[in-house]
Amino acid sequence: MTLTDRVPGLALEKRRARFARRSLASDVLITCLWASGAVAVALYLSSGSVGRTSSAAEIITTVGAICGLVGCNYILVMLVLAARIPLLDRTIGHEQAIAVHRTMGKPALYLLLAHAALLLTGYGMSAGVNPIAEIIPMLSIPDMPLAFIALGLMITVVVTSLVAVRRRFSYEAWHLIHLLSYVAVAFAIPHQLSVGGVLADSTWQRYYWIALYVIAFGTIAVFRFVVPVVSSVRHGITVAAISPVAPGVTSMFLRGRGLSALNAVGGQFFVWRFLTRKTWWHSHPITLSALPTDTVARITVRGLGDGSSRVLNVPVGTRVMIEGPYGLFTSATRIAPKVAFVAAGIGVTPIRAMLEQGEFGPGEATVLLRASQPDEAYLWDEIEQLATRRGAACYSLVGPRASGANSWMSVGDAQRGVTIESILPDLANTDLYLCGPGGWLDSISAAARAAGVPRHQIHSERFDW
Amino acid sequence: MRARAVIGSVVASAAVLVAGWQAGATVDAATVASGHAPGSRVGAEPRGTATASPASPTGVASPGAGVALPSPGSSAPGGGGTTGRPAGGAAGAPAPVAPPAPAGAVDGVYTGDLVDTVYGTVQVRVAISGGRITDVVPLKLTDKGSESARYSREAAPILRSEVLSNQSASFTSMSGATYTSGGYLSSVQSALDQAGF
Amino acid sequence: MRNTFTTMGTVASLEVPREHMALVADVRELFERSESRFSLYRDDSELSLIASGRATLAESSAELRDAYASALEWRSLTGGSFTPHRPDGVIDLNGLVKARAIAESGALLQAGGCLDFTINVGGDILTGGMAPRAVPWRTGITDPAHAGDRNAAPLCSFPMSVHRAIATSGSAERGDHIWLTRSESAPEFVQVSVLADDIETADVLATAIIAAGYDFLSRATANWDIDVLTVDRAGELLVTPGLGGMLRTAA
Repeated sequence: MTLTDRVPGLALEKRRARFARRSLASDVLITCLWASGAVAVALYLSSGSVGRTSSAAEIITTVGAICGLVGCNYILVMLVLAARIPLLDRTIGHEQAIAVHRTMGKPALYLLLAHAALLLTGYGMSAGVNPIAEIIPMLSIPDMPLAFIALGLMITVVVTSLVAVRRRFSYEAWHLIHLLSYVAVAFAIPHQLSVGGVLADSTWQRYYWIALYVIAFGTIAVFRFVVPVVSSVRHGITVAAISPVAPGVTSMFLRGRGLSALNAVGGQFFVWRFLTRKTWWHSHPITLSALPTDTVARITVRGLGDGSSRVLNVPVGTRVMIEGPYGLFTSATRIAPKVAFVAAGIGVTPIRAMLEQGEFGPGEATVLLRASQPDEAYLWDEIEQLATRRGAACYSLVGPRASGANSWMSVGDAQRGVTIESILPDLANTDLYLCGPGGWLDSISAAARAAGVPRHQIHSERFDW
Repeated sequence: MRARAVIGSVVASAAVLVAGWQAGATVDAATVASGHAPGSRVGAEPRGTATASPASPTGVASPGAGVALPSPGSSAPGGGGTTGRPAGGAAGAPAPVAPPAPAGAVDGVYTGDLVDTVYGTVQVRVAISGGRITDVVPLKLTDKGSESARYSREAAPILRSEVLSNQSASFTSMSGATYTSGGYLSSVQSALDQAGF
Repeated sequence: MRNTFTTMGTVASLEVPREHMALVADVRELFERSESRFSLYRDDSELSLIASGRATLAESSAELRDAYASALEWRSLTGGSFTPHRPDGVIDLNGLVKARAIAESGALLQAGGCLDFTINVGGDILTGGMAPRAVPWRTGITDPAHAGDRNAAPLCSFPMSVHRAIATSGSAERGDHIWLTRSESAPEFVQVSVLADDIETADVLATAIIAAGYDFLSRATANWDIDVLTVDRAGELLVTPGLGGMLRTAA
């Protein structure tokens, strides 16, 4: 934190500028996303003679071809969104990128299904057969059998990602099936480059399309494979110590080299992979619960469910692979003069790290800690110390959950007439950082919105476990 | 989504679509500008043989003209049987569509229909002279570079006038059907030999 | 310098630089040997002896068996359009033998240091190097409509710069060595000229195209690096793009 950050006025200006830049970048990305679909259509339009379509069969095949181009374009965009590109993470955040990825899944598949159905129909019509009968001759065209398989694989991937179906699989099994999407995309390439004239040899359309593939697979190769491997080798991280914090909650200390080069900021997380025989294929996104030094990092994990228990049972000395740092739940997204950190349960970890980062002046920050029971006060002692040192006010809300709109606070608080405005007087000028379980998060966000806090001043991190 | 993002997306997408449409129109205009009747895209079934269009070579030109019009791959018009890559053997590229020269066809150069096949868009320019098709040139063979390379070796009609007009240089020998020793005396070769050095 | 001599029932014309005139004698001898072995017009030629049953193929010379094997290979390469087997069962190698003799002559001249030459044997031409004044050899193709007219203009002429050999087959003067493989129909082409890089290929394919018609023309152009010019019964021409391009541009 520089001197300017300590001068209230200047810091605010800097934050506003940063926010404006990021929101512009984010809008540019959104525009590119939609425009890429338009370019896919334009690939078809620019190859000529679309305006002269007249017969029904022609129109159907034209639309079918366009659906294929647009659908595949968006599948490639989805790959890029899942590639964990630092630029995307800094602009819209990894969580937001994955959210967009998820919403695009079904529409993209629908476009591909329409592509297949319309082309079978259109070509069938000009040959005088029904679409089903058209499948056989279509299969005899080179590269088409692979394309059919690709579509089948993609259907499998999307169907298994539907919430109802996904629940039946373990995460790892589901993820493995999901990786088939790469295979599907690859299998579709030959027919795209050989069938139909739009992407013909030596056309600019073909070069553009190949470039899209290079970007999609390239970013995945680089950011999901090369960078983590290089980073892990460079920093040589191992498990140094495991120490309990509270019943069911444990801190893990990790040792490494040159960790400051990672430039991890308070509130960010890494994806950890513990290299033991049983755990190497599991990856865990876990937030740092303290700022790392050059040689030591700390995460704090609540032992719920298979994943976290496995992490906690890993022997000392285990080598660890990391990806990151990721996350926009940091002071980088600050925009208002004041800041409030609100944590429920294990959601305390990024808050603790951000407090240590301390990008606020005395009197500017308020910390609010929520726990249903006293023994769920994980790391509160550290937080109180940091708050005192930084000149931040620190409150706690302990007790069983209140009902209705006040469910984010305890019964006792509700009865005493506590409201979000009473805790945070200058709410309109406050950045709210909220971290905790989903239900609690929704409740407090709603309260903040109702009190007039602008949406871009509410930052939340969902810890659903 | 923020308003700016919405507006940006709409404007950018519209601009891209318009540019694409224009580019497509330019491609068509180029075909029109070279003086030929513009074709329309016909969605032929994706077998590389333009079965729906009048590809039958027997319907071409005046009867008895005997012009051998190349029609690779479609010896049986209307064939649903030519599946797979029609490049096997002599077939080469997708069948060029040669519209029949109607009786009393006016001499000139015509552009055939754009036939949309999975191997690309095929369009053929046909020259008609004296009621016969005298030249068939593929205009658009946009796919499969190797196919076009093979296609380009097919023999195509050429006018005698085109050929005879370039006789400015002299030549040293003459190739013709084998003449007998007696026949030699009345062959051009003998004249060449006498004039030879 | 030009030299002509009679051989194989036709006339051969040779054009070689003056300093290599001595090699012409060797070429003539080569053709004489070939004729004495393969000519079906000589009762005592090896091939005639086999045809009449007085000798067997198994006892024949290596050269004859070589030629026969080559003919069989061409038969399979052309799918039967070219074949040494006459319908009456006689093995007729004349079609191939002339071309092979021309090729051997070319090799003989080159081995003797003569790199610039033209050999024309009855319409099959093999060229080497350059014509005098360092220009490519230029060849004409006869116009079948004016066969037998010594002063007729050729159908076309062109430099032998891409392919060095050209062979022309005609159905009008169809010799005994071309048998139509589709006996019902009249030949589609009355004259076929094939340009290739060796005279044997040119000769065989010209023969095969005349015999088998348009279908084989497509196959030939697709599978061999050749140029073709055909004349049909109506006098219309077909030409491959390479040769066509050369003919269309100014000489």
